[in-house]
Amino acid sequence: MYAYNQFDQTLVDQRVEQYRDQTRRYLAGQIPEDEFRILRLMNGLYIQRLAPMLRVAIPYGLMKSTQLRALAQISRTYDKGYGHFTTRQNMQFNWPTLESVPDILADLAKVQMHAIQTSGACIRNTTTDPFAGVSADEIEDTRPWCELIRQWSSLHPEFAYLPRKFKIAVSGSSSDRAASQVHDIGLHLYRNEEGELGFEVLVGGGLGRTPVIGKTVRKFLEPQELLSYLEAVLRVYNLNGRRDNKYKARIKILVNALGVDTFGDMVEAEWALLKDGDLRLPLSEIERVKGFFTGPDYLSNKNAQRNLASTFDEHPAFATWYRQNTRDHKQAGYRIVVVALKNQLQAPGDVSHQQMDGMAGLADEFSFGELRSTHDQNLVLADVAQRDLFDLWHKLQAIGLARANVGTLTDMINCPGLDFCSLANAETLVLSRQINETFDDMDYQYDIGDIQLKISGCINACGHHHVGHIGILGVEKGGKQVYQFTLGGSASDDASLGKTLGRSIEQDQVVVVIGQILDVYVELRETDETFLQLVRRVGFAPFKERVYGTHQRSAA
Amino acid sequence: MALIKDRRHSLEHTATPELRFSDWLNEGLSQDLSSTTAVLTNGDDDLPSLLANADKLSMIAVEFEPFADGRGFSMARMLRRAGYEGEIRAVGDVAMDRIDFMQRVGFNAFELRDDQDVTEALTKLGEVSVHFQPSADGQGPAYMV
Ligand code: HEM
Ligand code: SF4
Repeated sequence: MYAYNQFDQTLVDQRVEQYRDQTRRYLAGQIPEDEFRILRLMNGLYIQRLAPMLRVAIPYGLMKSTQLRALAQISRTYDKGYGHFTTRQNMQFNWPTLESVPDILADLAKVQMHAIQTSGACIRNTTTDPFAGVSADEIEDTRPWCELIRQWSSLHPEFAYLPRKFKIAVSGSSSDRAASQVHDIGLHLYRNEEGELGFEVLVGGGLGRTPVIGKTVRKFLEPQELLSYLEAVLRVYNLNGRRDNKYKARIKILVNALGVDTFGDMVEAEWALLKDGDLRLPLSEIERVKGFFTGPDYLSNKNAQRNLASTFDEHPAFATWYRQNTRDHKQAGYRIVVVALKNQLQAPGDVSHQQMDGMAGLADEFSFGELRSTHDQNLVLADVAQRDLFDLWHKLQAIGLARANVGTLTDMINCPGLDFCSLANAETLVLSRQINETFDDMDYQYDIGDIQLKISGCINACGHHHVGHIGILGVEKGGKQVYQFTLGGSASDDASLGKTLGRSIEQDQVVVVIGQILDVYVELRETDETFLQLVRRVGFAPFKERVYGTHQRSAA
Repeated sequence: MALIKDRRHSLEHTATPELRFSDWLNEGLSQDLSSTTAVLTNGDDDLPSLLANADKLSMIAVEFEPFADGRGFSMARMLRRAGYEGEIRAVGDVAMDRIDFMQRVGFNAFELRDDQDVTEALTKLGEVSVHFQPSADGQGPAYMV
């Protein structure tokens, strides 16, 4: 993975000292509250219901074991011994003090990490496919491009005060695992008919209170002009995005207001002045960055491989874990292992410091010392030799991370909701607990199969509920916490926004309704039909009938 | 209120222009080619007209009000790209924590808010000394230099 040189290190170190001075002046009363708010947000520091919350960048979800150990150490020293992986592949700490943040940032800088632009109205952490560089269906590795974007966007002087936050996602395989169609900019790396590599550029996707699927603004972009084109889009947005109403300030609103064609013309006009200029990436620079992502020293297939048939027979639970939690690797003899951070005891995405240390150790032992975080709040060991899988599975059990539920109902996305978030309308963590208690039969979950449940505690949609196969949104009605269901959303290559099922459901009925929805699926599905396919085929009527026809206690 | 100009505390503090660019343009004042005209502008003005007329202006003061209105950053960048060599001054709610970025995009003068200490503010220019992207200051990433 990418390693800092002197240049990168200087930037991050100086940024820490800059923020230390800002904190000092704020505490001395020299920076007004509203101004410091923006300065701290640019370093990922929110002030939440109970305490500040610090978001640490994990650029495109990639980290070394040493970095995860440093995060574990930070959670012990400055927090309550745990951290939380977010849907943007970052890590959040829920309990640091404002005064300690400069020291945390200095500790992060020692392991080549930072919190730059993890919040605020600026360009955020670029996200990508957690299987980049290893998946069997990949067209091109996205990581070098993400790194180039990270560098260009870090401390970009022109785009620190945008109308609103700005998120870029990059996908490079036939199935989109980066939710690129619901980002401000989605980039699809692909080969055109002539076999040339380029980007399809989407703009104006997003969730929040106005969910929109991104629209293609450029079919093919030459890779060397990636940064010049991004700069043109950002400049047009910076100058023209709405600033009078923060709910209408995202680029999606601008693109919708102008129409994607007019917006595209404005970008092209600006780009004409940037193309072939300073921002054109020299091939040597692209090669330099690609050089960091050449892949580890894999064992030969013969040495990596192991026939697991008899192990599966002896250990059915291992066979299940293998089926559910591992994926095809492009390298013969290797598997991608997804480690679900979704057990019965912890909130989705939460990890204790012991688990962080444990995972760092397993990465060293089995996966070349690297790990990835995913947008569905799990971890990935990307390069595990088949012969090591059984051993790894045992060791994951020892740290409580071997639950074989990837892709199932309990592998849900969940925002922190009312337990931590000051914007929340409703609790969300109580739902994940109830869901885990009610649907604890794993065989039932396997029978239901691939299903994405996504829960947000308010309309800001941090839990991506619009693109859940089943989405749940917490709302407040007459002082009560109730929940709105949506069905049929997807964040994948077939992206779609879920539609509301009907009136809101009371908290203690949420699991009942999920059960009813799944019953309808089980009764009506055809062979091999997934939940999402069924919703698309049969529509909402049978679900409405089941949920509202018999269900008397739903809130008005 | 103190003025920083060309990286120094400027003691000859020329006043911030009160003439708005839009008035200057609409009232036909742009016909006067004395080229000592200073105007006040912000993101609400028509940027193509500003760029087209910049060579007739000796100073362009870009207003940051509220301070988080980031349009001024792009305006300065585009003025410099268009070859404008006169003074671009940041005025309005200008604090030391933003002038480094302002300088990078092409501002060369900063009229600081009253509560700002000018000596301390000067230390903020170049506080982060390396840059990942080219801008109006001619600096940029390692592969460019
Ligand atoms: C607890 C403190 C949090 C606060 C105050 C907060 C606040 C917000 C707000 C206001 C938005 C809407 C922004 C907009 O539409 O422009 C948003 C969006 C988002 N949040 Fe959070 N959030 C918090 C925690 C989280 C966590 C823990 C995650 C990940 C699990 C998360 C992931 C996201 C994502 C992915 C979006 C983007 C949705 C979109 O594309 O519009 N947030 N957040
Ligand atoms: S969706 Fe709402 S409740 Fe959940 S974290 Fe985001 S802002 Fe908070």
